[in-house]
Amino acid sequence: MTKILTKHFDEPKLHELETYKRLDGYKGLAKALTMSQADVTAEVLKSNLRGLGGAGFPTGAKWGTVPPADKVPGPRYVVVNADESEPGCYKDRVLLTRAPHQLIEGLLIASHAIGAKESFIFIRGEYQNQYDIVAKALKEADDAGLTKTCSIKLMRGAGAYISGLDTALLETMEGKKAWPRQPPPFPTVAGLMAKPTVVNNVETLSMLPFILREGGEAFAKIGSPKNGGTVVFSVSGHVEKEGIYEVPMGSKLRDVLELAGGVRKGHKLKAVIPGGTSMPPLLEKDLDLTLDFDAIRAAGTFLGAGGMIVLDETADAVEVAHNIERFLTHESCGQCTPCREGSFWSEEILERILDGKGTPEDLPNLTRMGENITGKVICALGDTVGVIARTWQQKFPEDFKKRIPHGQAS
Amino acid sequence: MTPATKVKSPFTPEQEKVLEGWTKAYPYSNMGLVEALRSVQDWNRMISPEAAARVGEIFDLPFNRVWGVVNFFPTFTTKPTGKFRVGLCHGLSCFLKGSNKMESCLEKTLGVKKKEVTPDGKFSWEPMECLGACEQAPALQVNDRLQGAATEATIAKLKELK
Repeated sequence: MTKILTKHFDEPKLHELETYKRLDGYKGLAKALTMSQADVTAEVLKSNLRGLGGAGFPTGAKWGTVPPADKVPGPRYVVVNADESEPGCYKDRVLLTRAPHQLIEGLLIASHAIGAKESFIFIRGEYQNQYDIVAKALKEADDAGLTKTCSIKLMRGAGAYISGLDTALLETMEGKKAWPRQPPPFPTVAGLMAKPTVVNNVETLSMLPFILREGGEAFAKIGSPKNGGTVVFSVSGHVEKEGIYEVPMGSKLRDVLELAGGVRKGHKLKAVIPGGTSMPPLLEKDLDLTLDFDAIRAAGTFLGAGGMIVLDETADAVEVAHNIERFLTHESCGQCTPCREGSFWSEEILERILDGKGTPEDLPNLTRMGENITGKVICALGDTVGVIARTWQQKFPEDFKKRIPHGQAS
Repeated sequence: MTPATKVKSPFTPEQEKVLEGWTKAYPYSNMGLVEALRSVQDWNRMISPEAAARVGEIFDLPFNRVWGVVNFFPTFTTKPTGKFRVGLCHGLSCFLKGSNKMESCLEKTLGVKKKEVTPDGKFSWEPMECLGACEQAPALQVNDRLQGAATEATIAKLKELK
């Protein structure tokens, strides 16, 4: 099976410059630097690379919205979003640990494409080990003159999930509370300190060396229509072999589960969350679904950042919903009333149900409240509060009904 | 250039230098604020209003602006944490793999409830949101460094930390 990011993961010293260079490292960057900015962007557009931090937006298209330097003179920036915090996702952590130079090369390619002379890697504070590894690789790159086209600086976050949202990340970088902005303008037009800024995920940027070396078409061929290349799933929960698994876009859910050894022995599959806890779950009947942004969207959930959590029959949907709402309540930035209040109420209602004090109105209330939150807030965290309040009781009404004597899921 | 001090600095001269360094680490001085506050949290295991006020002076920012940031991010605390701040993830994957049981284990082993500091100031523990180590569930962290899965053995080993 074609692997792009994890191809050389059996090489223990991949994080060292000498080893990385020996394995075709920085050849993509060398190629990019002989091309015009427009040609690099065109190659990435051709590749059908989609953003792998959660939103799946075509990367080439995002870069294309950066105003050209003659229209908007002045600095522009690339920011690496290494604030991975979606529950269930850890593939960026692994990529940072094992292949920091792959990321650095990708970052330098992106910087060339948009004409950035300064770039930043924003890494979550809880990844201090990874910060040290990246800092070391960065020093190697600096010493070897690789960052002469664009300087790279590191910055750490301070524990907020919402800092992982692009506009909130920029707010954090500007030394403010991580309150998401409401585009337009989008970051590519007015981002860091109101300058044109491309925010890209670790995995997304890591794909660029291959795209520049082998060409966008070769990358596109590996995936499914409009979803180029591969995707790295972080698999966890009730499986035999937790770990990251890189597969071509358009692989079947069933195949990824098999790579992870299937549901743990002696248990039966109840649900699979495909992209991190913000995404609605899939069921056993969905196992033949193809995993790419568009097919998953059509099935009513999202590929997200590929945080695949497997749940077996021991998992209780009420406990799961409560766990996720608790997380969202804690992480809500607080600026939008429906999210700030609604997440708190959702958690409280679910906690009451767990304590055996659920009432018949609870489930319809959760649903009604959810409908009044999703789509009526600035960012996707709020949207998720509303989705979670509805989706787990819709998919697993028995788990809820058995805790509420005369209640009905709605 | 250190701005004239209105607040008696709660920092040592070396610490003042570090904080000032953060105003120059990035293209715009405000960009160093979160890193500067991380330094304060590291040194003092918490951030007091006096410390926040002095950071405000160094960055030429109003106190409330800095205090808002301090109270927003989970890394910053306004009450003390232990020299070793232990974090146990209670995100979904870790919950499915028994984080609740490990919370009881931490309470028993360290002898304090969550967010309380041991009398010698060495330890505090608290549940944390997803630490990005779901394949090592339930994930354990000490001072922002992942320690692998929390088990009775790995939790017992925490007491050896110096």
